[in-house]
Amino acid sequence: MSKLLVDIGSTYIKISSSNGVFQKFRDFNRAILDDLTSKFADEIQRYEKDEIHICSSANGGLSTLIIGLTNSFSLKYATNIAFNSGINIIDTILYHNIENSPVAGELLDVVIIVGGIDSIGGVFDEKLFSYLSKLNYSNIVYVGSKKDREYLSENIENLVILENIITEKLKVNEEPLKEYLTNLYQQDIVGKEDIKELYTLSSNQIYSTPYIVNQSLPYIDANFEVINPFIVIDIGGATTDIHYSRDLSRDNMVIDSEYDRLVFKKLGVYKSKDSLVYAAKNNEFVYELLNVLNVTENILEEESEQATKILMQLSIFLVLCKVSIHTSLYITLNMHLLKSIVLTGGITKVLSYDEVEVIVQFFYKKILNTTAIPTILLDSNYDIWTLGMKALGEKDVD
Amino acid sequence: MYKVVTGVVGNDIHVVANRLIDISLQARGFEVFNLGVNTYLEEFIDAVVETDADVLLISSLNGEAEGWCRELQFLMAEYELKDVTFVIGGNLSVGESKDEDLVKKYQSYGFDLVFHQIELNDGLDQLEEFLGKKS
Repeated sequence: MSKLLVDIGSTYIKISSSNGVFQKFRDFNRAILDDLTSKFADEIQRYEKDEIHICSSANGGLSTLIIGLTNSFSLKYATNIAFNSGINIIDTILYHNIENSPVAGELLDVVIIVGGIDSIGGVFDEKLFSYLSKLNYSNIVYVGSKKDREYLSENIENLVILENIITEKLKVNEEPLKEYLTNLYQQDIVGKEDIKELYTLSSNQIYSTPYIVNQSLPYIDANFEVINPFIVIDIGGATTDIHYSRDLSRDNMVIDSEYDRLVFKKLGVYKSKDSLVYAAKNNEFVYELLNVLNVTENILEEESEQATKILMQLSIFLVLCKVSIHTSLYITLNMHLLKSIVLTGGITKVLSYDEVEVIVQFFYKKILNTTAIPTILLDSNYDIWTLGMKALGEKDVD
Repeated sequence: MYKVVTGVVGNDIHVVANRLIDISLQARGFEVFNLGVNTYLEEFIDAVVETDADVLLISSLNGEAEGWCRELQFLMAEYELKDVTFVIGGNLSVGESKDEDLVKKYQSYGFDLVFHQIELNDGLDQLEEFLGKKS
């Protein structure tokens, strides 16, 4: 059965049909449904509702604050699960320092509280409630010791209680929290009124785009000239996602999935341009990189085709830094083991192979002190996204 | 039942000794949280906090424990671990060292019991005796 695949991005709308893959810039003065149907009317008319599959990454990504008992267990486990669910970590707080911890000023999508194995109690006390009273959050979830559940639910309004993420043997139990956060992320995207309207076109569930790309990962090395372990970097207008083989992760956590992902909410070249420029200016290597690219920092303030290219190149560099030993805030990947880097998303329509290679070479030389770099593949025809949508479509049929 | 966090500290991978300690502790009725080999001091302390353990038993076979355990006092103070019994055992020095010097040194780091090159069961007998007196 032929299918029409649609991806609603924060910058582009793209479709894949039997006629090929097409993309057009979003018109932000129109509702998404209106914009989509006007731009691709002919294609949409050819398909029934059950033949149309839609995913969206527009305005994706949730923010979270994690309060945990220790760095090595509760905070490490919760942070890892949150990252893999497409959540952005605003901050982590060690519970015994909570009275001196800064209070996040922005609205948090979710607060996660974790600590202790099930057989211990009395982990949390008044200090927690006092801190929470200063926060502004939409959801709050407890995934710590079983013995503290009742006490916390009596004192924290709308507290969601899930299974402890720390087992009795101090191992990680990731599924309950991961499912909860993934659902929140999904609800955040499809709950947006603009996205809900798309159900008038499709009778299939609307998914988040990072989820779709993640679905394609087990098939990538069979379909492309990619060698495992690899990473897939999807740089869009508002967010940058990085998907990676678990073999690259330094965390010795034993869990089921072979591939994980991180979503960097404020790293995009259009809607998140300001925060991307801010991140770039705060990276000590960026000025040297701009020099290598034969431009000055003034380019970051310009509105031109060249400026967009430079921003895209910087975003590749920054995302590589964020997952390498250079930045310990995020999950650290062993980039020396990396065999292939796959780039997908709008970036592949703008940058050439050489323009990507110069960034990867710079990163490996400056951060990892080596001239050997992984193979680079540009998914310029969105084959990975198509593969993910098809993989999901086949799962739905099963 | 006493809860014990154990493991091999630092860049030491003597896994057989680690398993023997785990089995011996369990045979004596301890609830064991074994962090395995290559474990950092911070991880040991964090495991004690997460499990509310009564005993932290660190082993070291390659003699390099000294460098990995110097900050015990600092971490104990940070988490206010007053009721925990801290034990270290194995081969605790590189080269020749006098027992009494080693014991003093590790006690100054915050360990209650220090076992340098003694039989595992003798050490565990002393641990049980110590815990019995403490309670």
